Amino acid sequence: MSTFSFISQTTWRCAPCNQELQPEKVNVSYMGSVFTVELMVCSTCGFVLIPEDLAMGKMHAVEQLLEDK
Amino acid sequence: MSKDHQHKILAHTGSVCPVCLKALAAVRRQEGDAVFLIKNCPEHGEFRTCIWRGKITMPSWQRPKKPSAPRSPVAVTEKGCPFDCGLCSAHGQHTCTALLEITARCNLRCKVCFADAGSGSGQDPSLARISVLYDEILRASGPCNIQLSGGEPTMRDDLAEIIRLGRRKGFSFLQLNTNGIRLGLDASYARSLQEAGLASVFLQFDGISDDVHQAIRGKALAALKEQAIIHCGAAGLGVVLVPTIIPGINTGQIGEIVRYGARFSPVVRGVHFQPVSYFGRYPAPPLDQDRITLPEIMEQLARQCEGEIRTEHFAPPACEHALCSFHANYLLQPDGSLQALGAGRQACCSTSNACDPLPTAMEGRDKSVSFTARQWAAPDVCDAPVDPAASVDDLDIFLRRAQTHRFSISGMAFQDAWNLDLERLQGCCIHVISPEGKLIPFCAYNLTSTEGRSLYRMAEAP
Repeated sequence: MSTFSFISQTTWRCAPCNQELQPEKVNVSYMGSVFTVELMVCSTCGFVLIPEDLAMGKMHAVEQLLEDK
Repeated sequence: MSKDHQHKILAHTGSVCPVCLKALAAVRRQEGDAVFLIKNCPEHGEFRTCIWRGKITMPSWQRPKKPSAPRSPVAVTEKGCPFDCGLCSAHGQHTCTALLEITARCNLRCKVCFADAGSGSGQDPSLARISVLYDEILRASGPCNIQLSGGEPTMRDDLAEIIRLGRRKGFSFLQLNTNGIRLGLDASYARSLQEAGLASVFLQFDGISDDVHQAIRGKALAALKEQAIIHCGAAGLGVVLVPTIIPGINTGQIGEIVRYGARFSPVVRGVHFQPVSYFGRYPAPPLDQDRITLPEIMEQLARQCEGEIRTEHFAPPACEHALCSFHANYLLQPDGSLQALGAGRQACCSTSNACDPLPTAMEGRDKSVSFTARQWAAPDVCDAPVDPAASVDDLDIFLRRAQTHRFSISGMAFQDAWNLDLERLQGCCIHVISPEGKLIPFCAYNLTSTEGRSLYRMAEAP
């Protein structure tokens, strides 16, 4: 279901592994719901980069919809 | 299991005698998988009423909050709770929804009616008086959600004007509590109310078949209810189905009502179950078998919607007292199935002690006011065409669907003279504005004795 979404050229690198980040499919879960999205990931240690615009944008909107009243 | 384990006092609280309405001490006592409210009137003897029954235990159903007193409590409290309502300084929650009863007239004569509507010959409050009552709500509680109720509010031909007045006063969410007859008969009526500023219809909806409507309301109403939903949808009004659940009449339709509502999503925003209460007008004083408790409704939902609804999905409320309600939210998928949203009971304090800091009653009230307004009104649908070439991920798909097809399932248990629990009453957030302009918790306002004597509705407190 998921296609290209949040993979992008980035200057961020994984510092502990000194690796470039690679696009990978990642399962993002919040309050029991799981979403598959593509993000930039360190293929050695699994570090995932979540860009600020994603965290403050779509992810925040999803969190609000999932949160209890 | 020993008798000591089977019988246990869970809490001490207060109540009233169902006969004379005198204030009494009461206990909540666990007996097996049921909890009883037990009280003793020196004059009329002991009363035991089942208030909780099932596998979800009462001790597990908690959502503590720091009580928060009304911003302008009544100055004098002479007789004690529940006789000085107005609200008084002992009250622990603010107004989430204020009920404004705009008529006592009704076009049905139901066997059960909390308002005993259609019995009296009282005059409808004038528009000028309603204006004063709106002002009084604002003064006492600030902006909150408004439910126009009755009687049957659509008996008034100036309903649209009453709605417009409420919006002009600054209330952003107005809901109509109705049997839906007029909405079903007149296609243009729903639009006129929407244009006046109505957001949502709280539609009496006891079942999906005429035998249920006939048994409770005395009329075959199934087709009219459906027409009302269709007309509301065309007018851009959100609809909440509100079944009164009565053992032996419609407990078998609990799941079917959910499926019916889901079929009409996104017009139908959710289902709000109300276990029958014995106040106002009812056929006979209740036995325990005449009652259904909140955990039993949750269990029936899980049983009758097996595979989609689980009892763990349901959480106690952030706003009112925990023992007064349950709720869960779902995403209605394109194939018609319900997918639970959120973490249900795990999300709040009922299964953990790690609730620090304790939320205030006001925080819970604010959450509830905004959630209700958002969920129970028609969705804001983005009409912008979707670019098929644009990248789409799971979050986009979820957001697009959730914007329109979020579906709420909730239930609220009202209290009558048998099961009135003063701790619950003091946590109440649903307040009726009385004709005199006092805010009174819904269950206190509607409380009637076995002899039909009322504490507040057209009555003097004892």
